[in-house]
Amino acid sequence: MGKTKALDHVIDSLDIETFLICRDQDEGERLGLQLVRDLGFKDADVVFAEYSDGGVRIRIRANIFRPGDPYAWCSAKQSEAAS
Amino acid sequence: MDSMTARKKILLVPLDPVHDVALKMLNRKLVERNHETILLPPDLPMEEIIARATEALPDVVMVSRTVGYGVGELLGRFIDMFEAVGLRDRARMVIGGKAIKPELAAELGFDRGFGTTGVLDEAVAYVEEREFVPVTARTVKRKRDITSGYTYSFHHQAIAGLLEEITGEMIAWGKGKSTPAIRRAHLREQMMDLQPRLRLEKSSRSAAELESLNKAYLNLCDERIVKFHEQGTLPSGVRAFTGEELAALDAFIGESKDRFSAKSIRHNQDKPLVFVQYGTGCPIMDISHIKVSEGWGADGVLHFDPSWGARTEGLLSGYLSQEQDGTIITAENLGKIKAALQDSTLWTLRAHRGLNTPETVVLAGKLGADLTKISIVYGSISGGTDPLRLTADGMECIRLAGKYGLPFDVVTNEELGGVPAYKAFASMLIVAYLAVKLGARPIVKPLFCFSPEVMISGKMDDNYVDYNAAKVMALREIMDAPIWPGEPIGFVTHSEDRVQSSLSTALHAGLSLSLGVDAITIASADEAYSRGIISVASRVDSLRAVQEVFRFFGESAITPGSKAREWTKELLAGIEDVLRQVARRGSFVQSIYEGLLGSPEDGVYPGRSGRGTVTENAQNL
Repeated sequence: MGKTKALDHVIDSLDIETFLICRDQDEGERLGLQLVRDLGFKDADVVFAEYSDGGVRIRIRANIFRPGDPYAWCSAKQSEAAS
Repeated sequence: MDSMTARKKILLVPLDPVHDVALKMLNRKLVERNHETILLPPDLPMEEIIARATEALPDVVMVSRTVGYGVGELLGRFIDMFEAVGLRDRARMVIGGKAIKPELAAELGFDRGFGTTGVLDEAVAYVEEREFVPVTARTVKRKRDITSGYTYSFHHQAIAGLLEEITGEMIAWGKGKSTPAIRRAHLREQMMDLQPRLRLEKSSRSAAELESLNKAYLNLCDERIVKFHEQGTLPSGVRAFTGEELAALDAFIGESKDRFSAKSIRHNQDKPLVFVQYGTGCPIMDISHIKVSEGWGADGVLHFDPSWGARTEGLLSGYLSQEQDGTIITAENLGKIKAALQDSTLWTLRAHRGLNTPETVVLAGKLGADLTKISIVYGSISGGTDPLRLTADGMECIRLAGKYGLPFDVVTNEELGGVPAYKAFASMLIVAYLAVKLGARPIVKPLFCFSPEVMISGKMDDNYVDYNAAKVMALREIMDAPIWPGEPIGFVTHSEDRVQSSLSTALHAGLSLSLGVDAITIASADEAYSRGIISVASRVDSLRAVQEVFRFFGESAITPGSKAREWTKELLAGIEDVLRQVARRGSFVQSIYEGLLGSPEDGVYPGRSGRGTVTENAQNL
């Protein structure tokens, strides 16, 4: 997925919190990761998942900038845009 | 209302079927400022409102109404009716309510519009025809001295006597001891003193002197540090920032500082001050965490350095980032972080546990840190450093902290390795007492945690309150010193669920508030998430939760149960017993090796890093 301008303003990561209908925790986590990848994010992880009664409350994290990356929000281009 | 502000007559009109709360709040503020107000009941017919206005002849008419379908027409008619009876030119007309914006107010024929209840003070200023100064602009956050007002007197005579004996032995033992770290610290001081002179004079003599000091420094470093300084070889996973990145960072810092508005995380309390730890591996990312944390009310930040740095003799230099947790200690990285801090933010640079502790205190002192951290026993039995080496280095750290006027905290994190609190406290008190003797200002740091000790003993089976409270109560019975629970509060109580994690942090903050401690260190909501990065948003989660708990409690407090008193006595007895054993052993260092302050049975072992490097009767340059 090509980065949009809004994504350039994300400091580090994008969390998606939702409730997924599923059979068990494993399926919930698999679906969560699939969801984030379907949205076009490759670097993703399940931060939290808890299954109960037919579904999982889940938070999946897509990393946009990891520490040490060249950050779009702190670049010459960004400071020109801000000035 | 001051004497220069004229008393106004205000008609408050809830032009709404039910919602008049905001007007009632505004009415209270206006009455408090000695204005004459007439608050009409909600949903009066328009004609009756006009009749009341004609009778009262107000200076200001303040209407409250939620904007919705057909409301524009209603408000237009309201203005028309005021004009028809000749009141429009006499009174200033104001509209307030959700979704009201100044443009909409003007379009409807009002003089001013206010959006939400958060602007009550602004509305009062409008009534009084004075300029409104937002609270944020008036709030001046000042840097606080955590140690201010403490006498450092020891009330517990038996414990004080034992501490006097133990620290007397330590001071005698430490005379003439030196280590590579101590020598590097003194070389670092000389090099940092020389650098401004060199920039100013550009003399070849100063340059040669610096080169000679640098050479002596490298003789005391590990091979990878030497390779970096001599050949520019970066350790694996480390990269240097480009000039472009640094220029962009400077711009980012400047913009962040310009935008900053001071905010207190506390409600009506003076303390505790709230600290967060940073150390993502990248100073630029750290700065973003710091700026966001400051923006959400954090009072201070602690630098978290990489664990490999603690096992390496010597420091790198330059603007460096690494792909692991912990941000590399270099004078340049630290200088950039310092430049990013607001003037009010307290900055702790941890000397802590490794092979570069005295040099780190020198950097802290020279670069303007406010606090440091010295952990002789924790570093020796849980941090991997040889006890003999860290005792020698730690004592020099304390002297340097005194010289640079840096208060420092002493941790009890060995509790996480399984050491019971009473043993960890005995260690902490030895270092604190020694510090007072050497002219430094220690801050004691009990761990508010769900430790192996309490898991085994069941002390927290019922609640997290009583044993943590007992720790603070025991310390207060021993000495008059600042107390800063950490690190972070609620350690091991957090889960990956950000709601649970933030709430647990906030409740521990509420307990800290109730106990009247001086400062706390809080985790992010990502504390228990170990597979990836700590996100900036997770810092906001816990800071916001803590703010809400401070608001919730105000001046009220959690009252610990009866067990807290019982466990206070138990802790005091345990501390005294451990100190008696150390005093009887006659050697602080040997007491660490032999497990008196934490043993393999507890789950900790003396470290090996730096073993065999302490020299006798050496000149500490």
